[in-house]
Amino acid sequence: MSTSMSMTLYHGEPNGPSFTVLAALFEKGVRAELVRIDLAAGARHELPCAQQSAVAMSVEGEGPVLVVDGEGMTDSVFIACYLDDVGGGAPLRPSDPYRRWETMAWCRQTIERTAPAAAFLGCRAHPPKADPRLLGKIGSADLRWRWEMMGAGVFADEQLADSRSKIAAAVEKNEARLDGRSWLMGEFTIADLESYAWLAAMVRLVPDAFAGQVRTAAWMERIKGRAAVRKALSLATVADPTAYWAPGPEINRWG
Amino acid sequence: MGDVTLYHWEPNANSGKPMLALMEKGVAFCSHYVDLLNFDQHKPDYLAINPQGTIPVMKHGNLVLTESTAIMEYVDEAFPGPKLMPDDPRDRWRIRWWMKFMDQWLAPSFSMIGWSIFVGPAVRSKDPEELRAAIERIPLPERRVAWRKAIYGLFGDDEMKESQRRVAVGIGMLEKALSDRAWLASDRYSLADVNGFNLAYALPLSQPSLSNDELTPNIMRWLRSIYARPATKTCWAMGRTAMVKRAAILEQPHIGREHAS
Repeated sequence: MSTSMSMTLYHGEPNGPSFTVLAALFEKGVRAELVRIDLAAGARHELPCAQQSAVAMSVEGEGPVLVVDGEGMTDSVFIACYLDDVGGGAPLRPSDPYRRWETMAWCRQTIERTAPAAAFLGCRAHPPKADPRLLGKIGSADLRWRWEMMGAGVFADEQLADSRSKIAAAVEKNEARLDGRSWLMGEFTIADLESYAWLAAMVRLVPDAFAGQVRTAAWMERIKGRAAVRKALSLATVADPTAYWAPGPEINRWG
Repeated sequence: MGDVTLYHWEPNANSGKPMLALMEKGVAFCSHYVDLLNFDQHKPDYLAINPQGTIPVMKHGNLVLTESTAIMEYVDEAFPGPKLMPDDPRDRWRIRWWMKFMDQWLAPSFSMIGWSIFVGPAVRSKDPEELRAAIERIPLPERRVAWRKAIYGLFGDDEMKESQRRVAVGIGMLEKALSDRAWLASDRYSLADVNGFNLAYALPLSQPSLSNDELTPNIMRWLRSIYARPATKTCWAMGRTAMVKRAAILEQPHIGREHAS
């Protein structure tokens, strides 16, 4: 498995996108230097690769960065796909093209609909505090704007309602999908990691969405029981990593 | 391969992505034109296929696939023909990064501009009652908002300005990437190029002061190389609207700054 390339993973607390990548790394047994940075202070913007476009303009917002031979790679689902390609152990995507499509389409909807909602709700409940020195270094004007809005405590009611309904819809879809299945795609995949990454904190922040969703509750316990996930969660330096948030993907500005 | 059916609109944006990918792979498909300007995608027979009412949808035998970028990856994996994803894992990551960046950040801005100048005016003259009913039938709330804005011309100055800002930033990023490599995300023609052409084929016409042979020579080289491919020619010949026929501008050997005036 592992490669001779030099690999460094800059990650935050094991929640949201950092959770997906750390868990995928351990699932696949990939060796990389792990460097914890405070994503919730904007520390990503002082990395040597911060101005590379893939880092500065990542749609994911403040996510982890995997640096391979000097190239900063972002967007957790695609980093996980990369780790799946280069690592050993059981595959994290099905081999059948249709089931791979299901996995990627599921992740796409999670990225586009669930993640922005979860990041909005997470940051509202646990506001990140940017180091003012770093704000000026943020290469993406719209990401900088999201930081500024959050710093000023601006969370529009309309987006709040929309985010809650997106989380409810995601949990409902999750629950339906788990009917007769242990994992979302039948076998364990990146889709499980990505959905869990964004939903874990929502149990506390949008409790109504989870009421009576017993299959989702049991699925979350199964995920937490995996050795790679336990290892990822053990890297937390705060008591509750689900209370750790940084600005994520923006809420769709155009349907 | 009589078992592939694609429900698509024009060779443009999301519809054009699987159309062009299928043609590059040499996969014959049954074409089912869904007229976006006639709201075909929100009619019951289409919603029975895709309840979200988004275009395109691909059927392969009994399988039904949505999400245009994910469909392209499926097309590349499920059919023989030239590979549109390279073997190198980091190239594959870069292709996916670009496709997401275009799909979620850059294309929505192009779209907002395109809908305000093309889609909105194209449907606005229809019967007001019919338009109201058409909007009511749209399943996704965010799509309902988008259509309402396009039909009634409700785009705000701030959001249009932000879209124009993003288009300018995106053009700069494309030009930079294409000055580093022959193709957008790897050294070979890939799904990122298929995706990007669908977004940018009319760039020298839609953004003449930002993209032309003098300001963005690498984008122009890239667009012309893709336009010259037989699959692209066949695909764009399926277009019915003036919007898609704008691709013909790529036949001009030189488009200079003077074009912008």
